[in-house]
Amino acid sequence: MIAAGIDAGSRAIKVVLIDGESVGVVASGTLPQGVKNDDLAQELFDRLLSDSGLTRQDVARIVATGYGRNGISIADATITEITCHARGVRHLLPDARTIVEIGGQDSKLLRLNPDGTVYDFAMNDRCAAGTGRFLEVVADRLEVDLHELGEMAARSKRPAAISSMCIVFAETEIIGLLASGAAPEDVVAGVQRSIVTRISSMVGRTLTPPVVFTGGVALVSGMERALESVLGERVTIPPEPHLTGALGAALLAARQ
Amino acid sequence: MRECSGSKATAVRGRGSPAQDSPLDWFDKMIDNCLEYATAARERGRPVVGIMCEYAPRELVMAAGGVPVCLCGGSAKTIPAAEEHLPANLCPLIKSTYGYHLLRTNPFLEMADLVVAETTCDGKKKMFELMAESRPIYVMELPQKQDDPHAFEHWVFELHKLRAELEERFGVEVTDESIRGAVGVMNRERSLRRRLAELMKADAPPITGLQVLSLKSSISGIPADLEQYERAIRMYGGLSRNGDMSSRVRVLLTGVPTVYGAERVIEIVENHGGLVVCMENCTGLKPIIEDVDPDADDVIRALAGKYFRIHCAVMTRNSRRIECLRKLAAEYRAECIIDLVWQACVTYDIESYHVRKLARHELRLPYLHIETDYSPSDSARIAVRVEALFETARGSRSKAS
Repeated sequence: MIAAGIDAGSRAIKVVLIDGESVGVVASGTLPQGVKNDDLAQELFDRLLSDSGLTRQDVARIVATGYGRNGISIADATITEITCHARGVRHLLPDARTIVEIGGQDSKLLRLNPDGTVYDFAMNDRCAAGTGRFLEVVADRLEVDLHELGEMAARSKRPAAISSMCIVFAETEIIGLLASGAAPEDVVAGVQRSIVTRISSMVGRTLTPPVVFTGGVALVSGMERALESVLGERVTIPPEPHLTGALGAALLAARQ
Repeated sequence: MRECSGSKATAVRGRGSPAQDSPLDWFDKMIDNCLEYATAARERGRPVVGIMCEYAPRELVMAAGGVPVCLCGGSAKTIPAAEEHLPANLCPLIKSTYGYHLLRTNPFLEMADLVVAETTCDGKKKMFELMAESRPIYVMELPQKQDDPHAFEHWVFELHKLRAELEERFGVEVTDESIRGAVGVMNRERSLRRRLAELMKADAPPITGLQVLSLKSSISGIPADLEQYERAIRMYGGLSRNGDMSSRVRVLLTGVPTVYGAERVIEIVENHGGLVVCMENCTGLKPIIEDVDPDADDVIRALAGKYFRIHCAVMTRNSRRIECLRKLAAEYRAECIIDLVWQACVTYDIESYHVRKLARHELRLPYLHIETDYSPSDSARIAVRVEALFETARGSRSKAS
């Protein structure tokens, strides 16, 4: 019996198939988000199935999560990304007590009970600053690939101070910094710092380790170090941190 | 006609609702009913008196022959107009009310012979100064140290001053007897509304929280409304919904008032698997928990006592709110607490610290703080947080069973 999790995020769709009995991952994949959310999700889902020699009949249950979860027509149930991320992380790193999740347009802080269930959570509300979108804006502006950002930031001697609370104004600020001769690596380091600072204000003074860092932004090199420096705490990134939501959804699908 | 951004009338009609001419239908026409009542009263020479806070003692207005009508704005549509004068980063309730004032689209404000204002919060206090440029406003000073006997004496004095103001302005005598009469009417209204709220204590409540919220009126003491409250208690009291209501997550809502037109967050909660079984705020139980002794020797003091004990976040320290929440959480068997704060409402926003602590450490209930305004732009994001809260609450349910 196969259980599937579909995480329809704001920037990418992730699908994870697991074996319902062994709870081992059978297949997983990612597609950039587009206009037709539902079609893309099904395309990816079907591709993963055929690559694994499976058909839709083999899938007992599908849980959708993420920002676009209500638009996934093949889902049997929807569960929020909060619960799914917690479930995915509990599977991979059962000791985790805090999860920092930074996605395309979201940043979240989850506090977990010792048994891995959610105790409290905070999310960014009306603003996408402090999310992956911010990194995309700076990469675009500097005409570099997202994955080069970490290396660039590592070369920074003096991270630029980005003070704007708004992603649109921050972009203006970045243009201004570059125009006034700031080194691109200092701007990148400044943006990374600005994102993790936003997270640290959600954390406040009480942080229970171990801290796990998930979401697509955890894949961007340099972010882990930036997060550790503002939290003052070691941070663990699970393998494929962008898939924890979909994995959690699949695990919850297997349980029901 | 007053605008309304809510879709209350259509949203609440669930399966099993009594069809025609139910008390819910009556209160769906609440604004029209109030308008008819106020217009007729005014034609008979009774003054219409606007109020904007539960601290305003309605009984004094009624004893002076006046019709007290709530002016709190719940529409997002009037806010852009208000922002011509008021800062954008201000409570939407204040801005909406002020927008109605500028646009002249709240018929009750337009017919008001007087607005009884109070210094409940800084935003309202300063807004009233602007409103007073073109309308008759009388400001009561509300002291804020709830347990200080001198503060209470000051409040008693404020009630005496309001009585004198009403007598002089409307050329009437406000007798103790007329105050006792008004106390009787208000006690009856409060007790009926309490009994309606208590219907939600059931395992499978007969109506939704949104419906309970709709069973009230902008004008207190309208005889037809009181009859409808009684009918509602009779009709819904014996009714029990099947499975659906008992599987929903029981929510205790606290924080700011959700005035007419501003029911959005409650709609989100009840459309995502929750049931607001108790509203502790000013549009719920907070102002109706306590009655006034109509036979007290000094009826003004008795009145002042009831109003002064309303546990608004402007009070310091406001320990009555925490005691009340503790009691209501148990009585209504809440499974989680949602603490709603209007944008820039500093007092409620800070006081959330105490509410969160109560929920987390003492009651051990999942807690969600929502800060928002009247714009629907964050509805989807609020829904995610509300759903996640319910998933957590259901998780504790299955752990317990």
